[in-house]
Amino acid sequence: MIPILGLAAGVLLGLFFDPTVPLWLQPYLPIAVVAALDAVFGGFRARLDGIFDAKVFVISFVSNVVVAALIVFLGDQLGVGAQLSTAVVVVLGIRIFGNAAAIRRHVFRA
Amino acid sequence: MTSTPRGGAPRSLGASLLDAVLAETLDPAYAQAAAARAAGRPERPRWRGRALVALTMSIAGLLMAVTYDQAAAGAEGREQVREALIGDIDRESSVSDDLQDQLQDLSQEVTSTRDELLAASAVGQDALDDLDRAEQGSAAVRVTGPGLLVTLANADPKADEDPVGGATEDDGRGRVRDGDLQLVVNALWSAGAEAVSINGQRLGPLTAIRFAGEAVLVDFKPVTNPYEITAIGDPDTLAGRFLASPEVNALAVISETYGLRFDYARKDELTLPAASTPELRIAVPEVPAGDAPATDPTPGG
Repeated sequence: MIPILGLAAGVLLGLFFDPTVPLWLQPYLPIAVVAALDAVFGGFRARLDGIFDAKVFVISFVSNVVVAALIVFLGDQLGVGAQLSTAVVVVLGIRIFGNAAAIRRHVFRA
Repeated sequence: MTSTPRGGAPRSLGASLLDAVLAETLDPAYAQAAAARAAGRPERPRWRGRALVALTMSIAGLLMAVTYDQAAAGAEGREQVREALIGDIDRESSVSDDLQDQLQDLSQEVTSTRDELLAASAVGQDALDDLDRAEQGSAAVRVTGPGLLVTLANADPKADEDPVGGATEDDGRGRVRDGDLQLVVNALWSAGAEAVSINGQRLGPLTAIRFAGEAVLVDFKPVTNPYEITAIGDPDTLAGRFLASPEVNALAVISETYGLRFDYARKDELTLPAASTPELRIAVPEVPAGDAPATDPTPGG
């Protein structure tokens, strides 16, 4: 319950205060969001599996976001930013999909 | 730690990258942590973990909201720019329309004043008659009468054709080109048309029908598909001679082949506007002694 409240609070905070993001950070936001989604889905699945661990969740979240943004940043510097972000999105997308399927199996027993 | 956690063991070298991506959707660290707990590690205080999770989730929410805002703002900005450009175009076209109206009013005023002045004397009357004839010949006045309406239109896009990428091969063949319009107009003139206009653009003696990129320009103003060519003349002889002309027959065959629309209809009442007055750059009107030319600002007589 508390994590969902936290998520809602974060969304409301972002929508109300509308913080300005520095221009150089803006291209990495969508990738960071996909990485965050991956960590959140992973955490939710671990919770359903009964092996959730707060420390692992926090660390995986932070490292996911940072590494995803870093990979895209590196790709931008090397001139393959678009391809690398596609790669990141594909890998994270597959993981999100797999975790969502596991969550579905837990929730609907099917 | 004696038990090897599930998924925590190093993968065999044979496992492909894709296999790893597909199989390991859950971070193996969760399993490791669970195994460590099972092995009897001291648990951290639960409230701290909960607070950390809540904080992380709120950061995730914040991230999503901000990203959504950014994307929405970008789309909004593009929309605003688009609307501003459309507004600019509308404003400028209305300015141009206003100027056109003003020009028409002023030239009408000039004409009526001139007519008044010239009508006062016999020499002026003669000049006025000459002027009327010249004006009608040079398409400088609005005319009305029966005639022919010829419609030329581009081929309809094929239903199975991709409108984005697939049009390159067919480009140009299903389109009306400047040459088609020139051909029709020339056939109409030779069939005895006395006045011709394309989509409301009257053709004067110096009017060009040109192609610029994708657009057909008549008198340097763009006209768009479908092209309606109106010609004033005796409808029966006009239609008969127009249809008998070999160029028109060739065009009809071409339109049939490529799916262009090519129709004609007789009209009892057609009104063609005046053409824009041609600007003479090199030609200078000859001034016979005692006679006043139309362009001279100080009419004699």
